[in-house]
Amino acid sequence: MIRFLLKGILRDKSRSVLPILIISIGVALTVLLSGYIKGVFGDVITQNARFETGHVKIMTRAYAENIDQLPNDAALLETEALIGELKTEYPDMDFVQRIKFGGLIDIPDTAGNSKAQGPTIGLSFDILSQNTNEVKRMNLKNSIVQGRIPQNRGEALIGEEFSKKLKVKIGDVVTFFGTTMNGSMTFYAFKICGTIKFGLAALDKMAFIIDLKDAQMVLDMEDAAGEILGFLPNDVYNDMKTIEISETFNQKYKNSTDEFAPVMKPLKAQNDLEEVFNYGENMSGLFVFLFIIAMSIVLWNTGLLGGLRRYKEFGIRLALGEPKSGIYRSMILEAILVGLIGSCIGTLIGLGGTLYMQEVGIDISEYMKESTMIMPNTVRSKISSNLFYIGFIPGVLAMVIGNALSGIGIYKRETARLFKELEV
Amino acid sequence: MQDRDSGSCWFTIIKMEKEYIIELKNVVKRFPVGDGLFTALNQIDLRFEKGEFSGLVGPSGSGKTTLLNIIGSLDSPTEGNALVLGKDISKLTHKESALLRNHHIGFIFQVVNLLPVYTIFENVEFALLLQKYTASERKKAVMEALEWVGLEKIADKKPDKLSGGEGQRVAIARAMVKRPEILLADEPTANLDAANAHAILQTMVKLNQELNTTFIFSTHDEKVMKYLNRIIHLRDGKVESDDLIKSKENVPGT
Repeated sequence: MIRFLLKGILRDKSRSVLPILIISIGVALTVLLSGYIKGVFGDVITQNARFETGHVKIMTRAYAENIDQLPNDAALLETEALIGELKTEYPDMDFVQRIKFGGLIDIPDTAGNSKAQGPTIGLSFDILSQNTNEVKRMNLKNSIVQGRIPQNRGEALIGEEFSKKLKVKIGDVVTFFGTTMNGSMTFYAFKICGTIKFGLAALDKMAFIIDLKDAQMVLDMEDAAGEILGFLPNDVYNDMKTIEISETFNQKYKNSTDEFAPVMKPLKAQNDLEEVFNYGENMSGLFVFLFIIAMSIVLWNTGLLGGLRRYKEFGIRLALGEPKSGIYRSMILEAILVGLIGSCIGTLIGLGGTLYMQEVGIDISEYMKESTMIMPNTVRSKISSNLFYIGFIPGVLAMVIGNALSGIGIYKRETARLFKELEV
Repeated sequence: MQDRDSGSCWFTIIKMEKEYIIELKNVVKRFPVGDGLFTALNQIDLRFEKGEFSGLVGPSGSGKTTLLNIIGSLDSPTEGNALVLGKDISKLTHKESALLRNHHIGFIFQVVNLLPVYTIFENVEFALLLQKYTASERKKAVMEALEWVGLEKIADKKPDKLSGGEGQRVAIARAMVKRPEILLADEPTANLDAANAHAILQTMVKLNQELNTTFIFSTHDEKVMKYLNRIIHLRDGKVESDDLIKSKENVPGT
């Protein structure tokens, strides 16, 4: 019977073309939008993890409470030992130290007087160690605009925009002014070895990047770091895993009253990312729901028109001994077949569009100039495994609901009345 | 029908009652029209034997189609009993009615009514898809049915390539493929020319004789009446007359 119905669908264009077209468009849009949302929110997560939150972040409680102020006076101490412990406990994960700091960059002229000055947000991480994963993780090599990455102590990278603003050239020596973790004033001369653009407006505006050891020296933070970031294997984020690790870690210190006791926060619990996550999931769900409703209404009407046109066929089938329930079942079966065909076509179109959007993306740098959010300047879609099936939910469901509603007419009509349509 | 039963010996009566495959007892059918009711059939008492070649004749509105619908279990009587193959039509569920039609009753319509997107073979095959036949059994039965009507060579054609007469022959094959005990034909020759009408009727007579299928026509076509061995005249929903015309041996074309 399925083969018989399939032949009917394929041969009767008026029965299949319009519903398949509607389903294909709806499914393609569902896939495109889901891929886009997934891509944008995935990028937000990835960028936040790389630059800001890690998959988990360890800080002192005091640091965590005032994190916006970059309170290095509340930094973690004896970090090498702590990392050793963490690596024993979570051998698959990569734990790295980061120090973020505020300060002032001064550009001297040939006479040693200030030529230009500007506030900066410094970021330090392990650039110079041989086995560091940080250079790759921060995509440092590809983000260099001019010059090179630091190869020696005392070298620094500066944001491309920042360098233009301060009129700094490669090889210039700049002076960093700031405060140590103990509150003393500190200043140190760094040689600019390159300019950098991460494509994150929040960072690029006033980035100053130095090696971790330099930061520890300048800020008087020997064996200390503001934050320790933890990354899951291959830097692939897993929500459940980070929550589980954080809960286990925090369990050990839950009875401590020390404000400098370490606390671990999963990615979701930082930078309001839980809301971003939920928003993304809700939006995706909302799109699927809206498409189901909209397509069901359209397909209901299409089904009604098709059903009216097919009363003659239904009459013949009743005469041949097919029960009303059998006709209704076959309408649902047809709807599933049409829904599946339309969903396959729509998914292919949607995946094609998503692939294009993944490669090309949309440049939103103009809108992000003043943003402090860590968001990429180019938003891209992302092809993920769920895009291969997500469109089938609205595609098949809408078609089935549409046909189920329009098919009710068959039940409401008396058999003899349906049969009467044959006389037309 | 009373005249056919009267005067028979007890043995004959028992034998004949066993052979009745359709029995209508005081059948009344009313339809709501506006605020009132329209009586389409009024106290119909009829019996049909297995293998009859009979016709319901009468003007429009006399109740022919309503009667065929009740015999075909597409509708049920408002009052009275309609027993088809021993089953009381008014007591059947939708599913049981469909099962009765599927296994035991064939329909032929005034308009050919083939499914246009399917081939001739597939149109005939459809009736069997509702039953538990294997693909090879279906193929054998369909080709045999098409051979009865002489269309086995164009089984792969679509209905739009057929003439009116050929279309009606396919409809006969479709109705007969499941070898029903009863075949109901509603004005089957109304849209055909004389030559085609005779060809169709001769095919039906042949099938009636070979398969012993009971044919009941609804008609006012003189050409059909010539072939019938029993004519039931209906007027205003009542049986006006019920005449046994001739024996099968005298039917034209046999």
